[in-house]
Order: sequence, then structure tokens, then C-alpha cells
Amino acid sequence: MSHDVVVGIVMEDACLTLDQLAAACAVEPDWVVTRVTEGFFTAQGSAAGEWRFTSATLRRARRMRALERDFEAVPELAALVADLLDELDGLRSRR
Amino acid sequence: MEFKDYYQVLGVARDAPADEIKKSYRKLARKYHPDVSKEADASARMKEINEAWAVLQDPEKRAAYDQVGKGYQPGQEFRPPPDWDAGFEFSESGFAPDENADFSDFFAQVFGRMGGARGARFRQGGNFQARGDDHHAKVMLDIEDAFTGAERQIGLRVPKADDQGHVTLENRTLNVKIPKGVHAGQMIRLAGQGGPGHGGGPAGDLLLEVQFNSHDRYRVEGRDIHVRLPIAPWEGALGAVVPVQAPGANLEVRIPPGAQSGRQMRVRGKGIPGSTPGDLYLDLQVVLPPADKPEARAAYETMARELAFDPRAEAARSAT
Repeated sequence: MSHDVVVGIVMEDACLTLDQLAAACAVEPDWVVTRVTEGFFTAQGSAAGEWRFTSATLRRARRMRALERDFEAVPELAALVADLLDELDGLRSRR
Repeated sequence: MEFKDYYQVLGVARDAPADEIKKSYRKLARKYHPDVSKEADASARMKEINEAWAVLQDPEKRAAYDQVGKGYQPGQEFRPPPDWDAGFEFSESGFAPDENADFSDFFAQVFGRMGGARGARFRQGGNFQARGDDHHAKVMLDIEDAFTGAERQIGLRVPKADDQGHVTLENRTLNVKIPKGVHAGQMIRLAGQGGPGHGGGPAGDLLLEVQFNSHDRYRVEGRDIHVRLPIAPWEGALGAVVPVQAPGANLEVRIPPGAQSGRQMRVRGKGIPGSTPGDLYLDLQVVLPPADKPEARAAYETMARELAFDPRAEAARSAT
């Protein structure tokens, strides 16, 4: 067992680049580009090289990737389920 | 280390055809997907199911598993024979390396040596260089931690390869300082605390997703905090200045006359601190005093007599 003390850096809004988002989801950048182009999640900035993503998009992208993999879901369906799960999270937190 | 019976995990026979295994996996994945499942152990079961699927869906791995697992019963002490996997060529598992790190010691022992595509390329030598994988974990905070910052201990299981390429899962504890101002769903990046780089490449990052423990009176929505504020009937009817204990602040709030249960008041900038601080929302709830003393009963009876109040008058009007 090793013990380290590390200081966390809070990721402010829209701070992830395309490559960082892809690396954090363990996918190729193309996977992200396709889904942004199709409108399944949003990027801030106009060109792919300038895109920036939020923590919330990272969470959504990881969720979509797991759904696509676990159920062989097409991106459209994974996005729909991700929407529903987001809504469910909101409802559950109000209980 | 215990032998894992992947066929039993997926509820299929050892000679089950691939399509039957797939069908069973899909059914279990729907039942135990941690996002939707109500089962208490959903997350642990899903890991087990994904691990079994990672092996049995892949003909190479399934064949290797069948060979190494001959004669073993679930739960039995397992010792893989030396070099049992010589002669097997493995390709990518379909699971990201950070998810493989979630798998059991048994999985790491049996399949750790193949390492996936990145490891294979790495072992082939040459100048292949790659950044390590990002790892993910959740960190649970109390709402008050968002106002003060916090220190949390996080337990991680990290795959580690020895000189012979054997992979074992090492337990590691990180003490993490979390700055104030974090809000629900936000990520905290711990640079260089993810998977090790390949061929001299930099290590990946550890990304912590912030979640808040549930609280009797408070609820977090992004940067905003919602607080349930009980008020007496006369405070609601006549208006009053009442004390509010909110995370990070003790305030006095003016309740306007005529405030009903369910009304929401906003106190700007008193939510989670930050460059754009969140707001504090007070959800008013009128609480009736009990009529358990003669004086209280008399007060209610006076109100009933004097006010001629029918709370169902509007419903009765719209019904006619």
C-alpha cells in the first residue's frame, strides 16, 4: 500500500479538448467527432480543433459508450437512453 | 485466489452456443445495469457479468479459459499452471483498460498477460510510445464539503505488470485534497494518477466524479442548493423574518405575507461558492402546530368560526 497526498484540480466548465475527452472515454477522437456532428452531445467552439467539452459531456459520453458496448446499441438509441437516465438522476435526487 | 465460473455467472451451460451466451448477457445487463437497476448489489454484479462476457464472447479467450479451468469448481482455490497460455494469441477485449482494472484478481491472473492491443504493441518493441489510460472513480462528499473543501481517501485497484509481463492488481490509497466550490457532477482531475504510460509516454489522469451524500434537508442541483424551510401558519400568513440554517451560511430571511406551502424563494449567490456562485432556494413548508392542548384546540376553533375559510372552494367551483 502506498500513500500519496495529491491535490485535485476542479475541471471548470468546457475545459476538455477533443483528444482529452476521447482519452477519458478510451475511444478514438473519430468516435467523438461523429457523435458531435450528429448532435448527440455538444461541443463549445466552432472547429474540431477548438472544441471544448464540459464535465457533464464527459459523463454523458462515457454513459453512451457503455450503452453502445453493453447492448450493441446504435448511437441514436444510446443518446435517447442517456437522456432518460439524466432525467431519472434528476428525479431521484429530488426524492 | 478463487476460481471464477463465468458460465455460472451468465447462467449458461459450458457448451452453450455463442448466441445463447449473448442472449443471457444482454438479459442480465438489462437487469443489473447500475444506471437503472434497483438491485442493491447491481454495480458489483454488473462488473462480474461484464468480466464473464469479456471472456466468453471472445472465442480465443473462451478457449483459453476452458483449457485452464478444466476440473475447477466455482470458489475453489485456483492456481494456473506455469506458461499455460503459451501458444495463445490474444487480441483486444473490447473493454477499455480502465474497466479491465475493475475485473477480479482471477481475471488479472489468467488474462493479464495478454495486455490488450496496446500492451501487445508495446511488447513488440520498437519506438511505440503512448500516454497511459485515464482512470475513473467517484468521490462522495457531504454538501458542507463544497463550502470548505475536503480531504478524502480513495482506494484504487491498479494493474501492475512484473518483468515477466504477469499482471496483478495492486491496492493503492490516495489522499486527495478537494478544493472548495465543487458541485454535483463536476470532475476533479488528478494529473498523472491514472494508468502508467507505455514506452516512456506520460501517465494518464485519474478523473473523480463528484457526488453528494443525500441529506435530510438539503439537496444540490448543479451549483444551487435547495433547502426545505418549515414555517408556522402565522409566519406564512402575516409574513415574518425567520432564521435559516443553510450549508455555509446562517441567514435571516424575510417571508412575505401570504406565503403558502410549496412556494419557493431564491437567495442569490448563497449556493455553492465559485466564480459564478450558485443560488440558495428555500422551499417553504407550512407546518401545523398540534391541537393537543385545550388552548390550541380553542385557537383552531376560533379560526374555523371567524375565518369562514374553505380550502376546497376553488375545486368545488371548477367542478360545477
